[in-house]
Amino acid sequence: MWYGVCSLGEVGSCGSWIPYKKFCRSFLKLLVCVLAFITSPISWAADYNLFIETGTVNVSASPETGNGAITIPVWSYTDVNGGTATLPGTLLESVEGGSITVSVRNNHNRSHNFVVQGLTSDTTAIQPGQTRNYTINTPTAGVYLYSDTLNSNVNRALGLFGALVVRPSGGVKRAWTGGPSFNQERLWVINDLDKPRWTDVANSGGTVNTSVYKPNYFFMNGMNGFQAMGDAATNLEGSVGETFLVRIVNAGQFDQSLHFHGNHFLTISRNNTRLTTFEWQDTINVKAGTTAMVLYTLEQPGHYPMHVHTAQLETGNGVYLNGTAAMIIAH
Amino acid sequence: MKLNQYSIRSCATILVALAALSANPMTMAMHRGGGGGGGGGGGGTTIPVLNATNVSLSVSSLTRTMSDGQNVNFWVFCQGGMGGMGGGGCTLPSPVLELGVGQTANVSLNMMMAPQEPSPYNGHTIHPHGLDVPTSEDGVPETGASVNGDTYTFSVDSRYVGSHAYHCHVHTVKHLEMGMYGAFIVKDGNRISSGGPTYDYEWNMVLSTVDPAYHTATGDSTVFADYNPRYYLVNGQEGLSTGAPAETFTAATGKKVAIRLIGMQSVNSTFRIRNASGSYQSFTIYNKDGFALSSPQTVTSADVSPGQTMDVMVTLPSSSSSWYPQVTYKNLRNGGSYSNGTVYTRLNF
Ligand SMILES: [Cu+2]
Ligand SMILES: [Cu+2]
Repeated sequence: MWYGVCSLGEVGSCGSWIPYKKFCRSFLKLLVCVLAFITSPISWAADYNLFIETGTVNVSASPETGNGAITIPVWSYTDVNGGTATLPGTLLESVEGGSITVSVRNNHNRSHNFVVQGLTSDTTAIQPGQTRNYTINTPTAGVYLYSDTLNSNVNRALGLFGALVVRPSGGVKRAWTGGPSFNQERLWVINDLDKPRWTDVANSGGTVNTSVYKPNYFFMNGMNGFQAMGDAATNLEGSVGETFLVRIVNAGQFDQSLHFHGNHFLTISRNNTRLTTFEWQDTINVKAGTTAMVLYTLEQPGHYPMHVHTAQLETGNGVYLNGTAAMIIAH
Repeated sequence: MKLNQYSIRSCATILVALAALSANPMTMAMHRGGGGGGGGGGGGTTIPVLNATNVSLSVSSLTRTMSDGQNVNFWVFCQGGMGGMGGGGCTLPSPVLELGVGQTANVSLNMMMAPQEPSPYNGHTIHPHGLDVPTSEDGVPETGASVNGDTYTFSVDSRYVGSHAYHCHVHTVKHLEMGMYGAFIVKDGNRISSGGPTYDYEWNMVLSTVDPAYHTATGDSTVFADYNPRYYLVNGQEGLSTGAPAETFTAATGKKVAIRLIGMQSVNSTFRIRNASGSYQSFTIYNKDGFALSSPQTVTSADVSPGQTMDVMVTLPSSSSSWYPQVTYKNLRNGGSYSNGTVYTRLNF
């Protein structure tokens, strides 16, 4: 509707508030446009409208020591035009054998792009103020990393990433059609960032020396460890016997070796390559820029951590347990 | 009383210490061969092998002089009641614990004289890593474990036959790095894995790395925000070349050797075996993280990431030679290598 009303101009300008105001000069037209905007705020033809915006991620302090609270600037994909970015980008969802359309508007002051790893190949830069449309075919159920691939990983490191989850059609609780079944599903998007050498430099317009990368903050679904360990949507909490499908996306630049307490899990796919025989593991190395899917069945009651088994990745800038972590809670 | 620290400077020191410990043969063995008699450890270090059904561990400081002459202070678990007391028997890595399927582990941690950090990271625990024990035995302070000493009681089923680990879970970013780790092996006779084939010799290799800055920093220091390994170890030893291996293992020709890789390092690693002519020898992976693969994988290279374990086996040729099992440590960003980041060992047969 709103697309139709405002489609006299170029498609790309419709998502922006400024040309929109220019277009709706007459009061009548404005009224129509506003009505359309209210009744269908993202009534693009696209299934998803993403907006590249700036924002922040808030790291909370360790309740043990009181150390570590900080606000860090990020750039990311949001679903609100003019919204505030946070981590990770908007979740995209599709079904096996289907497709989605995504329209990405760049409201940031430098060029970016939008690439779904393994599914799209259009790496064209979207200039500031411009919009670009994508059709993404999703033949294979799994979990995919989308990101800005420009600027030698700097843009992704600043937060321009998210996940696309592809499920079997019909709402069946299986990893893929005919694949292993589960009771609950979780998505873990993890990333690392080097605040002093990358984030702060790039965010203030400087040139990052990409030969040096020493990430000092680590996030689980955009949260520091203490936040994530209290987040019901992240934790594996349920009854003994329940199986979780955990889709893991490492959007960072450091390989992360995730160790689960409580019991072993089954690794069923790595980077959307399905294992011919699933492997029992208690630690999975999810390499930078790759994904994995595991099945974790709660085998015994109790409280168990999931953490990365790697020095600084257990911390947020040295503050213990503020790195990549989650809780496993079995009743 | 002040805790005595001591330095291990030579193999001789270790052997003297071992001779003292060996007075108790029930709880002490050297690299026991599975069924076919003892393999030989030597040329590096020998780590005590203790029966986990009834063992008491304490925590001790241990100063090591590294290959560049620098001294690094470690904390290790030691057999016995009181912090090693400056006597022999404390090793890096900590002792190997063994448990048979169907047996019950009783591992006591005695905190007398233990070196430790200030609150809130005081005390120590034992986390049976990969053994999937109940919360009460898991050694995680944040889920209720005591940091002032405890007895860890658990048993495991046959799925767990193979290599696991144990380590302190207090302020793990520091305490693991300090040396508070060891191999934990679940045994079913000399089967390498649940339902798997038997071996004639077993060789535990605990992989670890050392960033000396982590050994002096404490609390929520920003030192722990960046990991810069300087020393690369197998069984606590640097092995900078095939001529100066971290450890030499001796076995008979034609026999099967199980090699247990226990990844306690904080960077990526790749295990390979170079033969005398310089090419890479194939080996077969039976277990990952102490659970049997449904089909063993024969490869010439295997990655062991932080926290992972792997049980592999080789069958030795019928004529005498030497092989050089080696671990190459790699950085987490792009798998790039480190200078001196390959640790060589030697297998004589
Ligand atoms: Cu400790
Ligand atoms: Cu562990």
